[in-house]
Amino acid sequence: MSYGEAFLLGITALAAIFSTIATYMAIMERDLLKAVIFSAIQSTIYAFIYYMLMAPDIDLVYIPVAVGLYPAVIIALIKKTTREEKP
Amino acid sequence: MITLSEYFMTILITCMIVNLGLALYGVFFKPNLIKKIIALTILGDTANTFALIIGYRMWVAGVPSRPPVFTEWRSNNPLLLLVFTKTAVDPLPQALVLTAIVIGLAVTLFLVFLTLQAWKIYRSVDMRDIRKLKG
Repeated sequence: MSYGEAFLLGITALAAIFSTIATYMAIMERDLLKAVIFSAIQSTIYAFIYYMLMAPDIDLVYIPVAVGLYPAVIIALIKKTTREEKP
Repeated sequence: MITLSEYFMTILITCMIVNLGLALYGVFFKPNLIKKIIALTILGDTANTFALIIGYRMWVAGVPSRPPVFTEWRSNNPLLLLVFTKTAVDPLPQALVLTAIVIGLAVTLFLVFLTLQAWKIYRSVDMRDIRKLKG
């Protein structure tokens, strides 16, 4: 048994727990702008998980799309429509 | 008796399953269309992560697994290729995920413009209001 792999996968598991918290906040948040920011945080953690799962070439595509374009497009949509989610 | 690596891998997969459930809840039960789009992006990313977890290879006898990028192709040494195929992770799910990310971007942009059109017609992005107005 190698402790190096356990160490790296431990960091990945910790990042996955944080991503679950960020996803919960993004889904349950009433303010849509904050929800988009939590979604971007979740995407950043996912990019780290992809890197630890030996997929650095996915990161090259995933970071501009999921951390840059998704929040930009959805923030533009929120600006044109409404910011608050009705209860 | 599971090893420490398998334990952490189980935590990772459990967190991904919880994320998938949360995203499905957001897609199905949140009435706001923008919130549905956010949940759909999270759902797609989580599905991509499952594909990458399937392709991941655990370390064999203490040798670290490596990305599926073969950099020593100039030297005609077949031993290097053998070591590469023994340690590299599976490249096929990564190729599929690369395509899925770009397709997901196109689908999200399409849904964003549909939501914008719904706002222009009904002045609301809430499914309950739109349902009431349409009749």
